[in-house]
Amino acid sequence: MATSGSLIRVEDLKKHYKGGAIKALDGVSVEINKGDVMVIIGPSGSGKSTFLRSLNLLEEPTGGSILFEGVDITKKKYKDANGKSVKLNVDELRQKMGMVFQHFNLFPHMTILENMTLAPIKVKKMPKDEAERKALALLDRVGLKDRADAYPIQLSGGQKQRVAIVRALAMEPEVMLFDEPTSALDPEMVGEVLDVMKELAKEGMTMVCVTHEMGFAREVGNRVLFMADGQLVEEGTPEQIFGSPQSPRLKDFLAKVL
Amino acid sequence: MQETAFAAASPVFTGRREYIVEHFVKLANFATVAKYSSLFAQGLLVTVLLSIFTVLIGFCIALVMALMRLSDIRPFRFLGIGPDGYPREGGALAVLSRFNPISFIATTYVEVLRSTPVIVQLFIVYYGVFGMFDVPTFTMFGFIKFNRFFPGVVALGMNSGAYLCEIIRSGIQSIDGGQTEAARSLGMSQVQNLRYIILPQALKNILPAIANEFVVIIKESAITYTIGVQDIMSAVNAVRGAAFVITEPLLVATGIYFCLCFPTSKLIAHFERRMSHGDKR
Repeated sequence: MATSGSLIRVEDLKKHYKGGAIKALDGVSVEINKGDVMVIIGPSGSGKSTFLRSLNLLEEPTGGSILFEGVDITKKKYKDANGKSVKLNVDELRQKMGMVFQHFNLFPHMTILENMTLAPIKVKKMPKDEAERKALALLDRVGLKDRADAYPIQLSGGQKQRVAIVRALAMEPEVMLFDEPTSALDPEMVGEVLDVMKELAKEGMTMVCVTHEMGFAREVGNRVLFMADGQLVEEGTPEQIFGSPQSPRLKDFLAKVL
Repeated sequence: MQETAFAAASPVFTGRREYIVEHFVKLANFATVAKYSSLFAQGLLVTVLLSIFTVLIGFCIALVMALMRLSDIRPFRFLGIGPDGYPREGGALAVLSRFNPISFIATTYVEVLRSTPVIVQLFIVYYGVFGMFDVPTFTMFGFIKFNRFFPGVVALGMNSGAYLCEIIRSGIQSIDGGQTEAARSLGMSQVQNLRYIILPQALKNILPAIANEFVVIIKESAITYTIGVQDIMSAVNAVRGAAFVITEPLLVATGIYFCLCFPTSKLIAHFERRMSHGDKR
């Protein structure tokens, strides 16, 4: 049984390539609780994105375990409450984890509204009018209701990313995963996306966010993870990480980015 | 006269020119061909119908083959994990673990059909495959013999399926991997991803290539006259047999094929430009 507050428990997660010569992830253990806003920082190539993408199995880890709501999702089968062996449904699992990508990945052949309603209608079997009503309400929250019938190509980068966030929210996930959501944006558009994420954090959404925005990490995150060389080097509150870094690796990193 | 002066200056050219007028084409022979114009009209219809059905069949075959080639079915996948728990890097077992029988079948189909002459394939289908059982012998529109037309469509469709397969495969592979990641992260299954995200985008991209294949088929369909399909070439043959003229009906056929293919490819090029313009908006 998972503890009451724990949503995801990662234990000794490994992702090795080439017979272990390359270790993208080398034994990462962390517990993500409900309502956490966990920010992952670190130099490029440190395994941050691999870690994040492993959480919804876009990357298949080669070792360790990820317990999501008490079920080890790295195994093909698990035992349910009655002790019966059940096949893990990855599609069902991913519905509970919204993901936002660096390059937005909106569907270019669909309008904004269609982008948002496709998965709720086809996957959750939600009636079309209900899905559209919810999508419009979400779009209204991020100030893009009037662009519902536009195509992604007609939107700016910041608008696209805001749509991508509410598209993931339309599936009503338990946790939101952000993979460098502002890295592909023009500087003046970073703010509008971070504002949406801040609001989301305020509403109590569980978030795991890989970012280079140290300001966001300090202001919004309640836990900060510092990763380097596939390992979790240091973990703590923003005050601890930015105020009194312990490891030389983190001190070195902060000296470069701050 | 101007011609005489020209002839005096260049006797060799005039000689060739007279030869052409005497032996290559005679205007009078076009009048003979005109008597058989209904044959050419029927031939034109047959050629167009043949090409449309061929592309339709070819597209269906190609879609299945492309999906087979892109499938990830590896029955011996487990052999790829070494005793140390890591994927094997080389050796026979690593090769075997990557073996995909479904993809292998499709690849074989594509490569065999692309590496053999169409006429051989046509004859195998007509004499070999359709020779084994009785094909219904009714006629469509009063002049299209189904038992000739259908094997022709099947043979050309199989051939064009091999080429279209590669077009569709490249179209699917040209879609950014982020699209699949986004779809799957929203909880869509592999089939839903293909159906709603990948194929609509891929098919839009390759539509001009498919239309070009249609033009190729119009020209290639000429060989079906060898199994007795009454297309444009068969009209040429009929005139030759009845009136003993060959060049003039061939020139008429050339004109018809050109009038079919040239405007079609120009039309495709026009829409291709317009569509790519829309993407850059």
